[in-house]
Amino acid sequence: MNNHQDFDVIVIGGGITGAGTARDCSMRGLKVLLIERHDIANGATGRNHGLLHSGARYAVKDAESAEECIKENQILRKIASHCVDDTQGLFITLPEDADTGYGLDYQKTFVEACLKSGISAKVIDPKDAIRMEPSVNPTLIGAVQVPDGSVDPFRLCSSNVVDAQLHGAKVLTYTEVTGFLKNGDTIEGVKVRNAITGEEAEYRAPVTVNAAGIWGHNIAQMAGVNIGMYPAKGALLVFAHRVNNVVINRCRKSADGDILVPGDSVTVIGTTSTKVPFEECDHMHVTPEEVDLLLREGCALCPSLATTRILRAYAGVRPLVAADDDPTGRSISRGIVCLDHETRDGVKGFISITGGKLMTYRLMAEIATDAVCKKLNSSAQCQTATTPLPGSETSGVKEVSKKLWGSATQGQKAAAGRLGSRAAEVEFSSPEDKQLVCECENVTLAEIKYAVKHLNVNTMEDLRRRTRVGMGTCQGTFCIHKAAKALAIAKGEPESADKLAADFLDERWKGMKAVGWGDTLREMEFMQKVYKAGKPDTYKD
Amino acid sequence: MKFDVIIIGGGHAGSRVACGLQDSGLKCAVITSGRSIHGTTLAGFEKKGGIVFADDQITNTCIQDSKIVCVRTEKIGQIALEAEHYVIATGKFFSKGLVADMKKVWEPIFGLDVEYNEDRSAWYAESFADHQPFLDFGVKVDESCRPSIEGKTVKNLYAVGEILAGVSCAEKDDLAAVDAGADKVIDIIKAQ
Repeated sequence: MNNHQDFDVIVIGGGITGAGTARDCSMRGLKVLLIERHDIANGATGRNHGLLHSGARYAVKDAESAEECIKENQILRKIASHCVDDTQGLFITLPEDADTGYGLDYQKTFVEACLKSGISAKVIDPKDAIRMEPSVNPTLIGAVQVPDGSVDPFRLCSSNVVDAQLHGAKVLTYTEVTGFLKNGDTIEGVKVRNAITGEEAEYRAPVTVNAAGIWGHNIAQMAGVNIGMYPAKGALLVFAHRVNNVVINRCRKSADGDILVPGDSVTVIGTTSTKVPFEECDHMHVTPEEVDLLLREGCALCPSLATTRILRAYAGVRPLVAADDDPTGRSISRGIVCLDHETRDGVKGFISITGGKLMTYRLMAEIATDAVCKKLNSSAQCQTATTPLPGSETSGVKEVSKKLWGSATQGQKAAAGRLGSRAAEVEFSSPEDKQLVCECENVTLAEIKYAVKHLNVNTMEDLRRRTRVGMGTCQGTFCIHKAAKALAIAKGEPESADKLAADFLDERWKGMKAVGWGDTLREMEFMQKVYKAGKPDTYKD
Repeated sequence: MKFDVIIIGGGHAGSRVACGLQDSGLKCAVITSGRSIHGTTLAGFEKKGGIVFADDQITNTCIQDSKIVCVRTEKIGQIALEAEHYVIATGKFFSKGLVADMKKVWEPIFGLDVEYNEDRSAWYAESFADHQPFLDFGVKVDESCRPSIEGKTVKNLYAVGEILAGVSCAEKDDLAAVDAGADKVIDIIKAQ
């Protein structure tokens, strides 16, 4: 068993909160270890809308969240420009909303609340709304324009991890925390096991941060403290092309399926909110009822969704936290929760950061890092609100690709879009490197090699989260083997290609079968034919 | 326009039936939504007098006393296409021989009886590698390869290829079964 004792802080969880905290801590000069049991952005981070909230959604009910959102919205546009798409957003009022008390009177309340929270909300003529977003339900009777956008959570998380590493952090993915090193009432470090090799190790640091999202519940229990967490499942559907260019929201009390977000080459409708048991958090399935509901509500925002092919369904789990003074768990906060377990539970050297949302990850990281620094008596100041993430130093895909390659290929432009200025590190040295592996998302062999070399990629799913390989309209039907082989060779394990491909097919299948009818079922039959015709046992273990 | 046999679908099975019947001297037409006819299988079909309506699809059918009287297509809608016998070989979902929505599966041209599971959650296997039940869905036929509409056999229509329940080339090499089915229909029609 290995023994290591040279970290200032251990961060558990490779989602956006953990990645952000690792970045902030390392930028403040701390020696950081980031531990993730699977891959980065594997939990709720990668399973949401990818909405860059303006905060308007919360303005009426929760001014504090709305203010947090708009502030972080403006910060992310600057520090994460290569992850953000400034689509703008609409909050629409439909004729039937008047019957439920959310007619144009409510629109007035909504706009006032937005302006009070510092969100620029502008009432526009429904005709102008249709001109701005032609796919919007043409029967709308009211529209408000707000500064919504879309944000790529995979890219955002990866950039935070990369920056933490550039500042000296050590990152261990596929490493599970199996226990804590305790000395009396003090947490002095963690015991871990490598999920691939089974190898065990111990790491020591004066402070450990629990940033494991919903899985933080179990981490806390392992440390001997209890956080009243409530897993709330949110289901979403992805459509096969970018139906809308502007985010469309419903101007009413937040409900299921009332946000439609364009992201890269697709459009996403969501979400639902259902309390689920902890055992289900690792095996999320989208139910037919959820699909029905999302489609019905989605069509109210944008009628053409009824005839658009659905690519797949997926679900994430929000880590909601019950207020400490409410044992029934009824008063659940969606706000940021930072717990110092020394003052709360008498357990020293242990902090939990949870609640919150993708939009406020940076603020959560700042709050957690402030708490870490207080414990370590460090007065280092937070710089994450002003320092661009790696890739966002120069803004704009055009500038980046022009500077790097003069006249860029499709694949190079796409790489610049995904990696920002970091695309300079991608080596297009041979003609093969420029070849597209994934033609839906324009992923080149060079970008795959780069991801394996620099971005902690082990599986095809990891590669998907870094490059969008297999996320487009064919769901990998045409590229899985090319990509798996490229990954296997880059990893130095060429014989693993078939296994990598088979695992990826299974994961794609899971999302497709939830919506397996119409054109999606046609695609599924085609996929079966491409991979199985005449060789039925190829994908059996 | 009158033919001995109209074959709907120009894939492997439809082409095989069309060529076999045209060779035996019957006047055949193939209606296919494909851009062209099925490669080498249909080579010579047109030379021998067979007619191909390519890149077209059936918009209208006329059925009387469980017999198909005529069909019309999108491109030549004003002219009814008539035949003694009809063969349907439009395949499964990918080729739109079968259509599925969230609740049901149907055959879109004639509304033929289709065998499928009404519980959608039972359409798929958990793993990609496993047998997928939806690939078994398809039209039901009697011992003479004739499908039915609302339980009544259509007297002059025969189904071949992947449109049939239990026949799919996706997971296993069913080509021999497809060919045998096509040849059986050729023999049945020739015998009449």
